[in-house]
Amino acid sequence: MQFHPVGFILQIVFGSSGIVMSLFMLLYMAGCWKILEKSGLKGWWALIPGAREYQLSRCAGREPEGRVLSVVTVLQWLSEIISSTPPILRRFNVERLDLTVMFFGVIGLTLTLIIFIYFIQVYSGLCEVYQTRKRWIVLWVVAQWLPALLWGFCKKYQPSWKVADMNAELAKLDFGGSVSSIEDGLTINLKERSTMEFFQKKILLRDIHMNIPKGHMVLLLGGSGAGKTTFLNAVNGYEKADAEVTLNSRNMYKQYKQMQYDVGVVPQTEMMRGKDTVLYTMLDAAKLRLPQWVSAADRRKRVEEVMDLFGLRPVQNNLVEKLSGGQKKRLSISLEFISNPSLLILDEPDSGLDGVMARELFEQLRKIADTGRIVIVITHTPDRVIDLFDDVIVLAKDSAQTGRLVFYGSVDGAREFFDCSRMEQIVKRINSVEEGGDGLADEFVMKYAEVQNG
Amino acid sequence: MAEQQEKNTPRDFRRRHRGRMAQIPIYLGKMLRMFLYQNDWKVLPMAALISGMLGMVLRGRMFVTMEGTLMGAFAIACVCIWNGCFNAIQVICRERDVIKREHRAGMHISSYVAAHMLYQAFICIAQTVITVYVTQMTGVNYNSKGVVTNVFIIEFCVTVFLITYAADLMALWLSALCRSTTTAMTVMPFILIFQLIFSGGMFSLPAWAEPLSALTISASGMDVISAQADRNNRPSNTVANLIDRMEDSEISGEVTLGQVLDLVVDEDMRAQKVAGDATVGDIADLAAESPGVQKILNTSYPYTIRLGDLIDIAGKKNVKDMLEKKAAEAGYSPDYERTALNIIGYWFRLLGFIIVFAVLTVITLEFIDKDKR
Repeated sequence: MQFHPVGFILQIVFGSSGIVMSLFMLLYMAGCWKILEKSGLKGWWALIPGAREYQLSRCAGREPEGRVLSVVTVLQWLSEIISSTPPILRRFNVERLDLTVMFFGVIGLTLTLIIFIYFIQVYSGLCEVYQTRKRWIVLWVVAQWLPALLWGFCKKYQPSWKVADMNAELAKLDFGGSVSSIEDGLTINLKERSTMEFFQKKILLRDIHMNIPKGHMVLLLGGSGAGKTTFLNAVNGYEKADAEVTLNSRNMYKQYKQMQYDVGVVPQTEMMRGKDTVLYTMLDAAKLRLPQWVSAADRRKRVEEVMDLFGLRPVQNNLVEKLSGGQKKRLSISLEFISNPSLLILDEPDSGLDGVMARELFEQLRKIADTGRIVIVITHTPDRVIDLFDDVIVLAKDSAQTGRLVFYGSVDGAREFFDCSRMEQIVKRINSVEEGGDGLADEFVMKYAEVQNG
Repeated sequence: MAEQQEKNTPRDFRRRHRGRMAQIPIYLGKMLRMFLYQNDWKVLPMAALISGMLGMVLRGRMFVTMEGTLMGAFAIACVCIWNGCFNAIQVICRERDVIKREHRAGMHISSYVAAHMLYQAFICIAQTVITVYVTQMTGVNYNSKGVVTNVFIIEFCVTVFLITYAADLMALWLSALCRSTTTAMTVMPFILIFQLIFSGGMFSLPAWAEPLSALTISASGMDVISAQADRNNRPSNTVANLIDRMEDSEISGEVTLGQVLDLVVDEDMRAQKVAGDATVGDIADLAAESPGVQKILNTSYPYTIRLGDLIDIAGKKNVKDMLEKKAAEAGYSPDYERTALNIIGYWFRLLGFIIVFAVLTVITLEFIDKDKR
């Protein structure tokens, strides 16, 4: 195979060595440049293979697909270059040239098929955003440069929403403020909890500041994706945030290892070995969570105390998988309770329980809180047990998809703030319209910010 | 207890809870209970069944001929890898959520993996004993002298254990990598196929594949079994068997009287004196100068002969012994030298796999908290 330097450079830039194909690629890139600009993104992303596909998928509202597409595009682009440029391989003294070229050729073909499927998904999203008929997908697949030019340069085609709108909203809703640490209780000053997703910073939570006195049982409310679990993980130091969290004047982040046993986190699902007995599960948890100097007899005594507290003694020799839903929940809580934690966090402990069992469980949690511990509970059915709670934390997803504090205060205060009598109505008010809610999250974030700032 | 707890300041908190070594017995106990309750014991009867089938195929071949030993080495390595993989492929991924919770509650990943290693070693030892015992029971003969310990069967058990355990820890690592049992069970056949193809047991690999072969447990396993079984000094019966099967084949051609005489008349016969100093050779040479005799000697005669008859001329046993010896010499490889150094070298290579996979498992699980919710 003859090596053409010009063709090679064209290939690196456009991904195809033919002059006509390169011209089409150039037109496609020009169209994409304008499409990206229409969505409020930087147009020059269209020049970079991989990044172009990712940014296009953002415009189409198909970011997860875009991530895959982008990675696969870069791989396909590389394999295509390697398989069609034997002189490069020769220069690196690659043995078995034919085999290497064939290998990368097969890989390239496989990746092309994957790209094809993902491109259809992205183009489908673009059709939705540009409110055009789905038949445009055919044109996108056959001659992508043509619709790219049309949608990019014709004023007739405008996206129904822009990616940049979200960033503007984010800036608008920004507010600061922090609370001073209390001696007996939990103080949370969370500035930001973010994550890097595909080289892009994604803010999951921001500006959450509060003091929870000891002995309080707190309800954590919020729609799905509002960041409730992320918030609780940030509070107990499991997933660190840009925050300062103190429990009884001790910094949870700086002393995480030491305070690990002072915080009990009960996960949503049981996460226990079904084929082990209740007693052994408890004893092993005690060995892990209690200090090493506690004697075997004291450890056993503590296990029996906790089992009595949660009514597990009659089933102590049963396998965990044979327990009822309520018993499993109680066992899951008692595992965390063995170490006598000052802060107990429970993620939907009542899921799968009927009203009576859920009530009994929450009454037990109330008793735990009354002994001077802080209990924070996430539940999606709060109204049947709301009389047991002292405070309510409400988190909501703002228009930038960031979890924000919408309210923290007493139960009555929450009713007044949201102007509704039931807690489940609060969730409806802050949920987005797409989720069947009223879509008032941003308004309540602003309202709470105003209340906080006086 | 609460008062005692109060006395301990945060500074010595770390020392107060169980460290890495002290956590190992907790998990080891848990795993041994799982062995009973979670039906993990099923791998033992499975090993017996597989070994029974293996023994029936290998009896009379393994440790007898070069081909039988090669086949046996491949089959035993495959069985060990199969057993090892099935022991561990699901053990971590099936309780991934539980591990995450316990890690959060203070569990050390290294303790957890160490407990698994001890538990899996226990299972692999049991499987080794079963495999060797059952194959011996079904007719595989292990009664030879060892080179490292003098007792061959002990050395063979060490090899079977190391191959099984290395495969077990490879599967343990895969189990740590996969987030669900479905993924693990989907990945495992690919790994098994890789191990079998690149072992080089069934067909010779091209040069480019040799580095890949070095990365497989199966190749090292086969090599050590071949060395222990003294494959180099076993007779190769492939050519002899082939000749046996071709006994009735007929060979046709043309031959001159001169060629027949050259074949039949040897130097001793030529040296025999006929009259005075004249020998048979002298008379024959004189006669060969005559054009008439030359014509007769160069005349071609067609012939057809059975291969079996031809072999019978030289003696069937002689031919077979010669072919087996020569074919075995051709199949000689220094990799299969039956020396203590060679065998221990392979054991260390398998031990290397074990250590690498154990370290990889710990590293992989250290990132378990990064799992997306």
